[in-house]
Amino acid sequence: MPTSLSLQSGTVDLQIAQKVFAGSQGEILALRNAVLTIDPGEFVCVVGGSGCGKTTLLRIIAGLDTDYEGSVFLDGTRITSPGLDRGLVFQEHRLLSWLTVHDNIAFGLANLPPTERREKIRHYVSLIGLDRFEYDYPHQLSGGMSQRVAIARALVGQPRVLLLDEPFASLDALTRMRLQQEILRIWEAERKTVVMVTHDIEEAVYLADRIVIMSPQPGNIKKILPVHLPRPRDRADREFVRVRKSVHDEFFTPGALAEDSGGS
Amino acid sequence: MSTAEQNQGLAASEVTLGSSAMPKSSSHKPSGHARRIQIPDRLLGWIIPLSILFLWELFARAGMLPPNWLPAPTVIGETIYELAVAGDLWRHVGITLARVAVGFLLGGTAGTLVGGLTGYATIARKLLDPLLQALRSVPSIAWVPLFLLWLGIQEASKITLISLGAFFPVYLNLSVAMRHVDPKLLEVGRLYRLGSFKMVRRLIIPAVLPEYVVGLRSGLGLAWMFVVAAELLGASSGIGFLMLDGQMTGRAAIILASVFLFAVLGKTTDWMINAAGQKLLGHRARID
Repeated sequence: MPTSLSLQSGTVDLQIAQKVFAGSQGEILALRNAVLTIDPGEFVCVVGGSGCGKTTLLRIIAGLDTDYEGSVFLDGTRITSPGLDRGLVFQEHRLLSWLTVHDNIAFGLANLPPTERREKIRHYVSLIGLDRFEYDYPHQLSGGMSQRVAIARALVGQPRVLLLDEPFASLDALTRMRLQQEILRIWEAERKTVVMVTHDIEEAVYLADRIVIMSPQPGNIKKILPVHLPRPRDRADREFVRVRKSVHDEFFTPGALAEDSGGS
Repeated sequence: MSTAEQNQGLAASEVTLGSSAMPKSSSHKPSGHARRIQIPDRLLGWIIPLSILFLWELFARAGMLPPNWLPAPTVIGETIYELAVAGDLWRHVGITLARVAVGFLLGGTAGTLVGGLTGYATIARKLLDPLLQALRSVPSIAWVPLFLLWLGIQEASKITLISLGAFFPVYLNLSVAMRHVDPKLLEVGRLYRLGSFKMVRRLIIPAVLPEYVVGLRSGLGLAWMFVVAAELLGASSGIGFLMLDGQMTGRAAIILASVFLFAVLGKTTDWMINAAGQKLLGHRARID
């Protein structure tokens, strides 16, 4: 497992007492009592329906949201703002339309000498398999390619933690599966801590070391489920299906929706 | 007469045949049987104007149009030529161009500064935008008497009027565009810890550039509109003055020559600013 291999750190320590949003009909309790420690190099998937606070959780780790009760630490340091030690990929690629793939990735870099900068960018362009498209513009890329560039932009600053907010939700099923394999490959190559938010149960079972199951109103952590399946995982494998069903049953009463076997 | 007609008919059919049998464009498909005339799209727009010019000339020569009302295109051309030879043309064109340039520069700069400020700082927008919107709803020509009273009939009042025309489109486009920069992109800037200056330089300016170029183009268009107004309302030089002079002395050829000059100059400067904008926008200009 990656924990033993990685020399770099990347421990995320979540101790959120509560997070409140001011809504039009009073206050909404978006998160309550979210306590969790994520180990260095661990791949954690946070699963839950809409409104369970999973994206809020990620934004808090990213440092985009600092207005909450409690604290979040990265390797013992309290997170108070965004930083290059964490890379975030949004649900939409959010690339800058006026920059090439190369320059979009460069956006995630701090100041560096030009040659080092170019080599770093080239490394990540290769890692996401877009060597031929390095100087293309976002409008020339497909949705899947754009999302890969967004992943490269998040990784190029050498973060200790990679945060993924439903990054494949808007892609078609085949592209999504390909990118799931891709993100595993990148994770194995880069040895980062990964926290990925998703509403796709199968995706979580395919990718995660641990699945954090969240429930809404108020958003909280309902259960943490380790996935002990060896990689590469086979989605048709009996054990895989069993784990998927157990996650699924956390959301739906067993029997009531028996024919709906997760996946969405 | 009948022979001439016959000749024309023959010539026309020959053209039809010729162009279908042998396409000019490096005959990669010698389709001999297709009797279709291939005209490039960009030439299509010329057909009607040229036909009108041709008919106009024809009717004028035939004496069917009163020459003091609607002189033939060639007469207008001659008028321009005479003005050029006498040197008057360059003086008038020069002064008009200078007025447009100075007015556009001043108005455009002011529009950029105020538009940028109101687009960036909400407090500036709340303070200034209602006033500017109210002023914008006044037809700008309505300011002329006041400008004349304050600034006299010399250049200052003209330049002010032209600047006013150029100001609003630049201001409006930039201010609105800056307010509407996608918050999701600004969040990317926050994520990568851009300071205010870098946020403006690396995100906001590139994001609003297309709308800004549109604003500059319409600002220039209005500058041309207002130079005509300014010169018609009291000037001793400029193309607008030339126009007025033509009216006073009853020479339609001079008026039409002036109209033609305005058209050519307006189109040329618009083309120039558009080309500059395309260069500025880089690859984005080619997306749509």
